[in-house]
Amino acid sequence: MAATPEQIEARNARLVDLLHAAAQGRQAAFQELYGVVSPQLFAALLRILKRRDLAEEALQDALLSVWRNAGSYSAEKGAPMTWLLSICRYRALDMLRRERREVSLEPMLDETGDGTAELAGLADESEDGALISKAEERALDECMRRLNDGQRASLKLAYFDGCTHEEIAANLKSPVGTVKSWVRRGLESLKRCLEAA
Amino acid sequence: MNYEGKRLQTLLAGEYALGLLTGAARRRFERLLMQSPGLRGELTFWEERFATWNLKLEPVEPPGYLWWRLLGKVRAEARPRGEALRNTFWRSWAVAATVVLAVLLVAQRVVPPSEQKPSEFALVSDAKGQPLWVISVHPEANRIDMKAVADRTPPAGKSYELWMLPGSGSPVPMGLMNSTGLASETVTPELLAKLAASKGLAISLEPQGGSPTGLPTGPVLWTATLVTS
Repeated sequence: MAATPEQIEARNARLVDLLHAAAQGRQAAFQELYGVVSPQLFAALLRILKRRDLAEEALQDALLSVWRNAGSYSAEKGAPMTWLLSICRYRALDMLRRERREVSLEPMLDETGDGTAELAGLADESEDGALISKAEERALDECMRRLNDGQRASLKLAYFDGCTHEEIAANLKSPVGTVKSWVRRGLESLKRCLEAA
Repeated sequence: MNYEGKRLQTLLAGEYALGLLTGAARRRFERLLMQSPGLRGELTFWEERFATWNLKLEPVEPPGYLWWRLLGKVRAEARPRGEALRNTFWRSWAVAATVVLAVLLVAQRVVPPSEQKPSEFALVSDAKGQPLWVISVHPEANRIDMKAVADRTPPAGKSYELWMLPGSGSPVPMGLMNSTGLASETVTPELLAKLAASKGLAISLEPQGGSPTGLPTGPVLWTATLVTS
């Protein structure tokens, strides 16, 4: 079941209340926020980091930073959940860069092999979108379909796997220059298409 | 802003949102972001759109101990600096008190020598650094002791419940806290082994008689770390 715009708005308003209370040092509000948002954030972190231990570390770091900076949230940074996801994702990207500097990892490899990445990725095609409106989701899907294969794959490898240009190039067996232009053209077409939608 | 500038903003913001800007390019972007509401708008546009991909993933419940660990860090930060200093004082005071206490315990209970030395201690203090309980682990006797240092009676109809936070998995109930005097809980060797590897202890507010679910249901009021004696 997709959420109605009213449900989404009510849910966002609640998250803003909790962030605001947390910014005033109220731990009970922060605990409630954790309960509401952590499963979705953890799923996103498992998807990109592919290792449970790293995902746990990233979630803890990101949420500690949310606790410290709850007061810096504002509407210009997007919906509350977008803001929270972004904090988690940028933390995960930092960790990936650090990890990959230390050991040269195959970007697509599920290191632990415990299936957490598959688990988190399984719902890729899930019909459940309690947090996003169907229309927004459909627009992005539709616009992504209009990209060529290289553009689409490049954007998804960057977003879901945290790949760098070089890693995408290795994955798609294409020159780095080609990948860079796929990304740019992909973003441009996507933006035009989304604005027209 | 001219068309070229706008186009570049869109591209850079998109690349940043995807995680493709690295090194100096990324730092430059973050610097510009502080200054340019337009660029912030472009970034939010992409973050919002791409977030829909992540929001489609099936939620995965993080392990229970993650919240407790986070809470420990949050509580540590919640203390004003002055109190942190006083804390140090209280801690040294408490260590001394614990030693005295241990001696008293030995004297009072006339325990066999093998029991005299607890393997680990934890001091539970309130936000002001005042010690509330000294918890000691006695592996030879399969026992943990909780000594109430200050009177902390739970509200009517409630109990304080002690939890062990294992390295992985959910918190493990360890018994109810006494409000005065000394209480002991018998624990299995398996639980003691877990305790030795644990990340710490927590005390939550529960319905009278303890959590009905076997997992904490109320707020966590105090946390403590075990230290080897």
